[in-house]
Amino acid sequence: MTTPNLLQTTLAGAASSPPLSPLWTLDGLRAADPVLGLALLLLVAVLIAEALHRAWRLPRACGHMLTGAIAGPVLLRLLDSADLDPWKPLIDLAIAALVFELGSRIRPRWLVDNPWLALGCVLQAVLCGSAVAVVLMGFGAPGLSAAVAGTVALATSPVIVLTVVHELRSRGQVTERLLMMTVINSVIAVLGLKVLRVLVASDAETLGAEWLQAVSDALWVTSGSFLLGVVAGFALDRLSPLVRATPAMPVLQIALVIVASMLATQWMLSPLLALLVAGMTARARMGHALTVEPHLGSAGAALNVLLFIAIGLLLGVDGALRLWPWALAIIAARLVATGLAVGALARVSGLGWRQATALSVALQPMSSLAVLLAADSFAWPVQWPGIDTNALQALLLAITLMQLSGPVWTQLALQRIAREVQPG
Amino acid sequence: MPLQAFSTSQALTLGVELELQLVGTHDFDLAPQADDLLRVLRNHTGAWDVKPEITRSMIEIGTSIQRQHAVLLAELNDLRDQLARGARRLNIGIGGGGTHPFQHWSEQQIYPGERFHYISELYGYLAKQFTVFGQHVHVGCEDGDRALWLLHALSRYVPHFIALSASSPFVQGVDTGFDSARLNSVFAFPLSGRAPFCLGWDEFGAYFDKMASTGVVQSMKDFYWDIRPKPEYGTIELRVCDTPLTVAKAAALACYLQCICRYLREERPFEPAEDDYLVYTFNRFQACRFGLDGEIVDPKTKQRVKIRDDIVRTLARVDEHALDLQALEASNTIRDSLFDGNDASWLRAQRQPGTPLSAVVEAAVQRWAA
Repeated sequence: MTTPNLLQTTLAGAASSPPLSPLWTLDGLRAADPVLGLALLLLVAVLIAEALHRAWRLPRACGHMLTGAIAGPVLLRLLDSADLDPWKPLIDLAIAALVFELGSRIRPRWLVDNPWLALGCVLQAVLCGSAVAVVLMGFGAPGLSAAVAGTVALATSPVIVLTVVHELRSRGQVTERLLMMTVINSVIAVLGLKVLRVLVASDAETLGAEWLQAVSDALWVTSGSFLLGVVAGFALDRLSPLVRATPAMPVLQIALVIVASMLATQWMLSPLLALLVAGMTARARMGHALTVEPHLGSAGAALNVLLFIAIGLLLGVDGALRLWPWALAIIAARLVATGLAVGALARVSGLGWRQATALSVALQPMSSLAVLLAADSFAWPVQWPGIDTNALQALLLAITLMQLSGPVWTQLALQRIAREVQPG
Repeated sequence: MPLQAFSTSQALTLGVELELQLVGTHDFDLAPQADDLLRVLRNHTGAWDVKPEITRSMIEIGTSIQRQHAVLLAELNDLRDQLARGARRLNIGIGGGGTHPFQHWSEQQIYPGERFHYISELYGYLAKQFTVFGQHVHVGCEDGDRALWLLHALSRYVPHFIALSASSPFVQGVDTGFDSARLNSVFAFPLSGRAPFCLGWDEFGAYFDKMASTGVVQSMKDFYWDIRPKPEYGTIELRVCDTPLTVAKAAALACYLQCICRYLREERPFEPAEDDYLVYTFNRFQACRFGLDGEIVDPKTKQRVKIRDDIVRTLARVDEHALDLQALEASNTIRDSLFDGNDASWLRAQRQPGTPLSAVVEAAVQRWAA
């Protein structure tokens, strides 16, 4: 389980590194226990986010990420990416809770009722991924590396999107489609990466056999995650009557989310897919009896802030001076491809032009989540041996930009363009 | 602006308007998606009309001019089906009911439009609280004098329509104890209530001019009366009904009104008088509060009767008119509903202990589409 690990790490950390300088100096902070450091960051992040929100109406998630980025390896070096590893289970839980909530929020039946929407979701993912891959190949990246980068880039960040929707409490057609398309493109990204991972590791001679392995791997991940999700959803349905209408309800949900996400990781499945399916199954089985609070309650909300600080801490700007045209090209390719896909099917699927614009902009926040949840540590880029360094760094740079500014795009789209936020 | 002349229309023709709720399919709260639905329905096939209403989670549908129950019902069915198709594409639910059981009025958004903003400015929070859903029935009249006579003769039957259509027991998350809580929102408006007792169109025109000269009203639209003349259509408009949970009920209510109008016009069982209104607000309250079990006082005989019994008697009296108007099926629907209970009691029955009101909304949405 997560807590003993965390405790041990905390205690070990506290025992082994007594602060040399006073805590209020920069060096003191650097030497302080990482857990204490992160807790202090949590405090600062909340205050900074609130100040930025009041001054410029910036989404609070931006403030949280910014705090992480300032404290991180790039600027103040208060914390190192490796310091985050003990926190990983908690951060995974924050993501998992959001994904479960997203699953319980969408209605898969909509894709049947509006086949143009279903087509639009797939088209957006495919166009977006291809556009990014083609652009990177244009810069000279090898095909497979470009494909990996394209697959990561086609996903919209579910974490940013849902957090902004929570904060704005937006309601309307663009919000609904934003959530649905985010779910679909994240799932496509996860499955795509599973296939590509096998292909990247192989060499050209054994490609035929590797294809087989890649496809069977993807099938295993899909069916296994689906089954795990269904079982988790059923379990929640069966267990919740025992604690109905008591404060234990969110606790039960959190516990099941942890179990499902840990099992998925252990069995090399996709936690994202499993938790989405768990959310959908629970909603289908329980209907109105299922109440999912935003972030699964106030503890989840605290974890969510932590999650955004972590995202900020992990932002990388390696090779920014050299690779900025690549990163900008990735961002532009995503925007154009998304705009084309959404625009092409806007009218037939029942969307106005203004809403199509809003939806395209709202889909821009990028995600490293698809990869994060499946990785054992935050050093996930290391797990891709054989991948072109330039393509990878350009991708990370683009992710950095579109994560930091992501909440702003989604807020702009929902509030100003689509006008789906109640004023005041 | 003086009162416009009363257009002539064929007597006893009908037009039905229904205000409907748009709800999200994940939480069944009101969803501000009127624009989306209107866009999807822009190319609908049908003589009917669909329009925005004061807040963005409402739409209003209106039938074409109708004469017969079967045709009216067929048009309403077509309307409902096309609306349902559009709503499915947009992932929203459509439902009847006079109120949304748990919506929060402060979260409603006023639909962009000059008149809606004027109303919102003038009435403040009342305008948002006016997120209630009614059925309006227009009945054609040849001229203004006959329209006003019919309007006042009908006042005696207003409690019937309130009790039969009542479908708004829940407001802001609680059971109000009323069968039609919607009308309480309407009564908050300063120009609600009943029309002044004038039986001639000229006399009514003089009243209107006096009101207009005070600056209180500018057009007939500013009066929120239970029944009001609509001179541009050549109709009187009954506005007390909650939107029922099914189109079948809506069609039956419209044709029950048509039958009563024919009975009143042809048999002239009594002459309307100012004193009829002595018991009017009491009767109306009884119908809102207790529905079909309410007790009303007959303005002529001064006797107390159960609304349910009064409707049974009225149905018997208007039966031959129902036959002539080919509205027997409508009468039967009304008669059945007297014993099955109105929509308010159906909604209350859907509320199981331990389940939230969103389950009640979902049940209402399914009933509307069925």
